[in-house]
Amino acid sequence: MIMARGTDDQLLLPVNPLFLWFSLFAALVFNMLPFGRVAAMPDVLALTLVFWNVHQPRRVGIGAAFVFGLLMDVHQGSVLGQHAQAYTLLSFLAITVHRRLLWFSLVEQALQILPLFIASHAVSLIVRLLSSGSFPGWTLLLAPLFEAMMWPVVTILLLAPQRRAPDRDEQRPL
Amino acid sequence: MPLGTLDRRPPPLFHQGPSALTRLVIFSALALFLMAADTRFAITRPLRAGLAVVLLPIERALQMPFDMAGAGAEYVRGLQAAQADLNKASVKLVAQSERASRVEELTAENNRLRALIDLKPALPVRSVAAGVLYEASDPFSRKIFIDRGATHGVVPGAPVIDEAGVLGQVTRVYPMSSEVTLLVDKEAAIPVLNTRTRQRSAAFGADGSSLELRFMAGNSDVKVGDLLQTSGVDGIYPPGIDVARVTKVDPRADSAFARIALQPTASADGVRHVLVLEPVAMQLPPRPDAEAEAATAAASSGKGAKPGAKGTKK
Repeated sequence: MIMARGTDDQLLLPVNPLFLWFSLFAALVFNMLPFGRVAAMPDVLALTLVFWNVHQPRRVGIGAAFVFGLLMDVHQGSVLGQHAQAYTLLSFLAITVHRRLLWFSLVEQALQILPLFIASHAVSLIVRLLSSGSFPGWTLLLAPLFEAMMWPVVTILLLAPQRRAPDRDEQRPL
Repeated sequence: MPLGTLDRRPPPLFHQGPSALTRLVIFSALALFLMAADTRFAITRPLRAGLAVVLLPIERALQMPFDMAGAGAEYVRGLQAAQADLNKASVKLVAQSERASRVEELTAENNRLRALIDLKPALPVRSVAAGVLYEASDPFSRKIFIDRGATHGVVPGAPVIDEAGVLGQVTRVYPMSSEVTLLVDKEAAIPVLNTRTRQRSAAFGADGSSLELRFMAGNSDVKVGDLLQTSGVDGIYPPGIDVARVTKVDPRADSAFARIALQPTASADGVRHVLVLEPVAMQLPPRPDAEAEAATAAASSGKGAKPGAKGTKK
């Protein structure tokens, strides 16, 4: 349905489910890029999951977050269930705040999203320290900060297809 | 786009399924169960192997741009650099072939001597060459993934080496790939032999970048620069492969043990090709069955036969 939301009273087109799942898959692939082992690396998949949980809670729910978490666990060779647990919690919190969040500006949204990412990384850390992983260093604290800072960018990118004109003409080809 | 294609249905009032809190509880319980099952009972192995097979094509495809970037950089470096590399390699080859011929002579002599004094011949080591798929980006552990798995004969526990020394050990085997835990991982441990003093000890992964030699007395004879090799007593690693060098010895006053830091000789950063060895124990003759042996001993005790002489020999 067309809805006006947030401070900009723009009407949004309905989301294309293909684009939604493609963006999640692309985020998974981005997370799997072999950049090496950096504790402060932002988790793009978590960010995309939170985005769709907030914007389309009826399509992307906790179950999807759980499955993507399992895939990340297998890819990284970590304890099966570590990412699944973190993403499940993240998704629950995102669905809890989704009605309130969209009435704020993007920067205020990022500030409200930050505690979610901190909680998710804390869950990962606790699980790994309990199952005998080594502490990766304090740069781990930067990861949720980077993720929150990427929130406006991700919002603009992922909402762009829904902001297109419903009737394209010469002036608005897109 | 005509407006008729838009989704105009109102959100469902009653059919929303279980509440978010219920789902959180269900999936958290499932995740906790998986964690316990994965760490304690190893019953999640098929699930993990299945997902790994699904993810493998993506991982291989993602490796390609990085390989191509490497190849492009090589190409740009040009002919001169390639020739310099070639010269360096041929010098190294000459040095090694001289050594190799000596080694062959020594091996032959060693075999003759072993035959003379009736020792069992040393075990041959079988190996599988593998390429590195990627290093796990998990900041809590040190693991790499290689492109050889159960279908190529890789078994769990197999040692993995590169040209500089021991790299780690295979910890999980998937059908087409395997996970190698590096020696510097906190979970890893390896029995070592100090080549200078011939003293055996055990090295453990410390903080993800170095190893430490534990349970060595504060006054033990370990010096900075000592080379540690595999001792070969564990039934996994063949003897005489370089493991690490001692970088720091700190005889702590507050403890009975010294704090000894080691630098592994093989660096996991930038390693592209590794060799997966077969665990030595798999080539040993099977252990004699304890019950059968006790029965034989009981049966033949009247005749005074030696029970230990009935080992299965190759």
